[in-house]
Amino acid sequence: MASQSLFQKYGGFAKVSRVVLTFYDKVLDSEQIGDFFDDIDMSRLVDHQTKFIASTLGGPASYTNDRLRQLHAHIGISDRDFDEMAKLLSEALEEHGFEPGDRMSVMLEIESRRSFIVSLDAA
Amino acid sequence: MSISAINEQLLRAIGVGVAIVGEENLGFRFHNEKFAEWFGEPGASLPDIFPELDLDLLRGGLAADGCYSIECSVRPKRRTLIIALSLSRAISNGERLLVVECQNITRIRELESMIESYSSMVERNTREIERERERAERLLLNIMPKTVYEEFKTFGVVSPQLFKEISVVMLDFIGFTKLVTQVDPNTIVSELNDIFTSFDRISEQFGCERIKTMGDAYLAVAGMPDPNPDHARAVANCAIRFVRYLERRNMSSSIQWNARVGIATGSVVGSVVGVQKCVYDIFGEAVNLASRLQVFADPMQIIAHDGMKDALIEEFALSDLGWHEVRGFGEMRLISLSTDIKGNTARHHRRQDTLD
Repeated sequence: MASQSLFQKYGGFAKVSRVVLTFYDKVLDSEQIGDFFDDIDMSRLVDHQTKFIASTLGGPASYTNDRLRQLHAHIGISDRDFDEMAKLLSEALEEHGFEPGDRMSVMLEIESRRSFIVSLDAA
Repeated sequence: MSISAINEQLLRAIGVGVAIVGEENLGFRFHNEKFAEWFGEPGASLPDIFPELDLDLLRGGLAADGCYSIECSVRPKRRTLIIALSLSRAISNGERLLVVECQNITRIRELESMIESYSSMVERNTREIERERERAERLLLNIMPKTVYEEFKTFGVVSPQLFKEISVVMLDFIGFTKLVTQVDPNTIVSELNDIFTSFDRISEQFGCERIKTMGDAYLAVAGMPDPNPDHARAVANCAIRFVRYLERRNMSSSIQWNARVGIATGSVVGSVVGVQKCVYDIFGEAVNLASRLQVFADPMQIIAHDGMKDALIEEFALSDLGWHEVRGFGEMRLISLSTDIKGNTARHHRRQDTLD
């Protein structure tokens, strides 16, 4: 990773907070993955996504792969769900002015975690 | 268009949910689209839509302040909305009404959650950084005295300081170079680590401070940074314990550690040296002399110079070694210290006496 994280490059939490809210809106409105969050308390969801995005961009939070697996194992996430989430995040980043190269590196980072999050075999 | 028609259109268009109910029966007179979007088409009265509304508190609040506020959450779609309701009195055509104003404060609550989440992460990071800083501080305290560290922390540099009256003990192992080629390096290092750790404990116990180790040599000092009038006795006590510790250790170890020890009194300058790899070190005659004297020692012998005699003679068994040429110092009268401890020997004899 470069000496300066994307988190710092794009202005720290002041900027990243907007990405979080945009992503949060998109996820809730999504036909594909919105259902997962039907019964989730708002503050828990915001908490989760704040940490998720901060850690993806090299901010203060970080999840170990084991932790990711534990968090997602019981939910039953498919590859399609995962793709949708990645797409929404990429859109949110684009809307907030992240350069294509930086979006690509975020996508690569997320892709490397796929096997710890997806727990449903493709039907 | 009449004023009241404009008002009504305005109420319908704004992004705030608005309803008007009668104060007595709380039946609906008017609601705008936003209100219906959030709460559905209103039924007969306000409590039907807001079961959480406490009517007694409402009446009380209206009587006291003319208005009343609550928060409620609704979930028209997937997202939970948090709505702040504010009810205030109004009179129209002689009828007492309540204006119900509904603000969507979901975003504010979401932001609050996000700030809470983020600040908890940052606080945890701060705690980790603090722990890291303490670890770094402990490491620095290993290589420099606390007073020097304080100066280093405050000014970023340490000015060299002269200590006039201090004593130094220098210990060097005999045949270490040969040992290194004969024994597994891991064993050597772990033995050396063990020995130096014990030396550190002995030093601490007798008021000395280790300055450094150089390969197989060990250098400790007494009387700095805080002055100590007993500095000569402190290093002599250390030197004796170092030797006795090694003797005891050799009894049960396959590797035989033999050392020469020199002790000297004099002055030194102490300072942090280097920028990137800074180390606290001492320089001066006492260090040089101790290192020269150590060379004169037989295995497991402790050598001092005549100048220390007055300070040591009461407590230690000394032998005169006569005059010797010490490189860099000229002719010097040297003495050696017995590794027997006078006090202990005396006690030992007394016990023998009583047994007899």
